[in-house]
Amino acid sequence: MNGNESRLVWLLTVPALTVIAGVATFPILWTFWESLHRHDLRMPWIGMPFVGLDNYLEVFADRRAWSALLHTVFFVATTVAIELVLGLALALGLHRVSRGRGLLRTAALLPWAVPTVVGALIWRFIFESPLGPVWFADASAAWLPIVVADVWKATPFVALLLLAGLQQIDPALDEAASLDGAGALRRLREITLPLLAPALAAAIVFRSLDAFRVFDVIYVLTGGGPGTATEPISLYAFSVLFRELRIGYGSALSMLVFAVSFVLALVWIKLLGAARAGDVGS
Amino acid sequence: MTRRGVGLSAVGRPAAAAALALLTTVAGCARDPSAPVLTFSGSAVGLEADVLGRQFARFEANHPPLTVRLRVTPDAADERRQLYVHWLTARAADPDVLQLDVIWTPEFAAAGWILALDPFQPDITGYFPAAIAANRWQEHLYALPWFVDVGMLYWRTDLMPAAPTDFEALTRVAIGARSRGVRDGFVWQGARYEGLVTVFLEHLGGFGGAIIDEAGAVTVDSAAAVAALTFMRDAVWATGIAPATVLTWQEEQVRFAFQNGQAALMRNWPYAHRLLQDERASRVAGRFGVAPMPAAAGGSPTAALGGSHLAINAHSDRPEAAYALIEYLTAPEQMLERARVAGYLPARPSLYDTAELSEALGLDARRARAIVDRAVPRPVTPLYSQLSEILQVHLHRALTRQQEPRGALADAAEAMRGAIARAGLDARSAEGSEAP
Repeated sequence: MNGNESRLVWLLTVPALTVIAGVATFPILWTFWESLHRHDLRMPWIGMPFVGLDNYLEVFADRRAWSALLHTVFFVATTVAIELVLGLALALGLHRVSRGRGLLRTAALLPWAVPTVVGALIWRFIFESPLGPVWFADASAAWLPIVVADVWKATPFVALLLLAGLQQIDPALDEAASLDGAGALRRLREITLPLLAPALAAAIVFRSLDAFRVFDVIYVLTGGGPGTATEPISLYAFSVLFRELRIGYGSALSMLVFAVSFVLALVWIKLLGAARAGDVGS
Repeated sequence: MTRRGVGLSAVGRPAAAAALALLTTVAGCARDPSAPVLTFSGSAVGLEADVLGRQFARFEANHPPLTVRLRVTPDAADERRQLYVHWLTARAADPDVLQLDVIWTPEFAAAGWILALDPFQPDITGYFPAAIAANRWQEHLYALPWFVDVGMLYWRTDLMPAAPTDFEALTRVAIGARSRGVRDGFVWQGARYEGLVTVFLEHLGGFGGAIIDEAGAVTVDSAAAVAALTFMRDAVWATGIAPATVLTWQEEQVRFAFQNGQAALMRNWPYAHRLLQDERASRVAGRFGVAPMPAAAGGSPTAALGGSHLAINAHSDRPEAAYALIEYLTAPEQMLERARVAGYLPARPSLYDTAELSEALGLDARRARAIVDRAVPRPVTPLYSQLSEILQVHLHRALTRQQEPRGALADAAEAMRGAIARAGLDARSAEGSEAP
């Protein structure tokens, strides 16, 4: 590439880079800057003194922050695992259907189209039924409505991703294996799943990054309660920022959310690359 | 206009659009753009909106050329506060007059978001002293009381001869009522939100404790506090007089349970009284009374002081006009009208001696006044929201059996002391709450 060409490349990417800088880089850097200050909207008279890493030290000592992080990890692991299994089953089913395929797919995707808050409100209504047990007054039982509501909503999304992957697989492979006497389970394990790896990896990446930022479904269903038994890290950051109005400390918590999702994204992208490479290799 | 527009043919549509445009222009011109507009923000649902609209109209008639416009804000207190904070930190001049929950005044005053009212020389002698005290911050007055709210014990006259005055009697009658087929004994607001703090405060006072003592020290881990919280937890899990669902209930769910005849006793605010009397909707109309909350030996019957206050946005363009509106809305006649239409308790004690108020509220005003007189404000500090959040979490942990009351309150006290120390406000808040 000569000098002229490289200048042109830069010139052409300037608009995209500007947008990314404006909507991603700048807010992140600003949040980081805030997190190095003691900034409390309730106390304008203290100004905004620079406190270095004080807020981060406070995060390390804050038990509520750590348990919120644990809750988030638990939520990601549970929901993504269930969504993958159910999503795969749904995708395999939809893949086999030949008549009314379009209608079925649309129907299966409906929960994904319902706004999270609306869906969560409906689930709350169901779980608050006076006839059943009291789900929301028990620290463990309160997770059930949350997991159910999230799985209900996100499974169709996973299924659609996997269905797209299934349709990329040459049906001849399956037929050949079938003729060679391989049973359905063996074909699933040895042919479908390995070839589906890229789609599975994509589903895991999207869902786990999305689940890590979970806010709305829990805000509506339990508000993080009882106590703080179901509080995820983003809900805690929200309550520090918008209820307590401690912008500095809340920004430090937000940076923690950002750092973890960033690392998670890097790891997944690596895995995704490996899955792709494996796909090409076979 | 629009209904006719829908029925027009395709050819007629542009004409209709033009007519509509003309109409809106004319309507727009009817209001002089230079006429001064005052904005008022607060809750405005149902009956409240009606009475407020009438009062605005009368105020406008007395203060030409002022116009008052209502900025409707969410009814949920938390959400309203968030919205106010967004407006006020952005230094918006709008709304001029803010309806504040009693617990927000010190926070908003300390942040410089609302004006001190002292320059207007308000006459404060006619208000409940506790309500005025809640509006003071560092010896200045920042808001005027509009109406007061107090926690009361609602009891079923057909299930017990008199309201229980101590906690053992309350447990006994609640168990008795349940054994006679009433679903719930005693229902209260137990969800993790501000309402839980008020219910706890009332139990706490009943056992002789306080959240913060007169010297400004956190005393929420006292023996009285442990006894109060233990009583509340046992009401759910040991004596069973309160259903476990109260731990997810706010005011309205509690009212529905009582209103449907499913509870023998209820803790709620005065607003419920009017609705419970409505024979079309209520199964307990004519079969309930109100009384102070119970107390144990060493404590006294306690009501949490709630209510709304009116303050002026520090960046308002028309503070004088805003003050005139506040003065008008807090005048005795307007308070009486509000009581009559929406059932809110006036913030002026003298009104409680009038037969007019008893008639307006449909209950003996002197009995209501006895409860208001004993009302206890929540801690007067700019950190209140944070302290309350800490308390809500730990109370709820103990009530849902994740932690023993003693440990939960010890943790809460430690976290509250830490928050006060970090803010460097302990001296200030003590000074503020002691101000006369």
